[in-house]
Amino acid sequence: MNWTPEELQAIIDEHDVVLFMKGTPSEPQCGFSNRAAQVIQQLGVEFAAVNVLSDARAIPSICAWSDFPTMPQVFINGELIGGSDIALEMLQDGSLKEMLDAGRQ
Amino acid sequence: MVSSSWVQEEVLKALPEATVEVIDLHGSGDHFHVRVISESFEGMRPLQRQRKILDVMKAHIPHPIHALDLKCMTPQQAQTAGETAFDPHGNGQGIHRHRLQRLKEEKQ
Repeated sequence: MNWTPEELQAIIDEHDVVLFMKGTPSEPQCGFSNRAAQVIQQLGVEFAAVNVLSDARAIPSICAWSDFPTMPQVFINGELIGGSDIALEMLQDGSLKEMLDAGRQ
Repeated sequence: MVSSSWVQEEVLKALPEATVEVIDLHGSGDHFHVRVISESFEGMRPLQRQRKILDVMKAHIPHPIHALDLKCMTPQQAQTAGETAFDPHGNGQGIHRHRLQRLKEEKQ
């Protein structure tokens, strides 16, 4: 894994729900990443979690590629929805589930 | 390390007519909860709203601002939003600020 735009795109093409986070869902290394993982798990669907602390190149590469400055980042159907604040807001208002159910546009 | 009022001024550069509330989560000048209330958010998706703010703020992330928890809402949403601040370091797991305060008070 070299964190190229092509590799990152392949991950979000392959998985409908992708979470780029600090640590892992079972061992999160940041409160915001933990919150995002909790939100995603409440969707009750399979998701891919990528630990951005596994390689020093990960965070700068992902942030440049997605044009979003912070971690975590949540992708639904290949589209960035935002960080843990937006993920929680969209879980609570039901739009996260709606977006997932609507499938890829 | 930057101050809450500095963060507020920066956010206002992006949206001069907005109401901007800033909480320095740890008093350390690097983790902030920012609530932005603006009529202009009407009809915009959450990420579009944040991008308005991030266009200005991304130059300051990750230094001097390490964490930015953003809540962008319309005046209508703000009326019913209640407490939104979230502390990412409470017990290392992230915890709502109010609860953290309550736990502290219970200990005393």
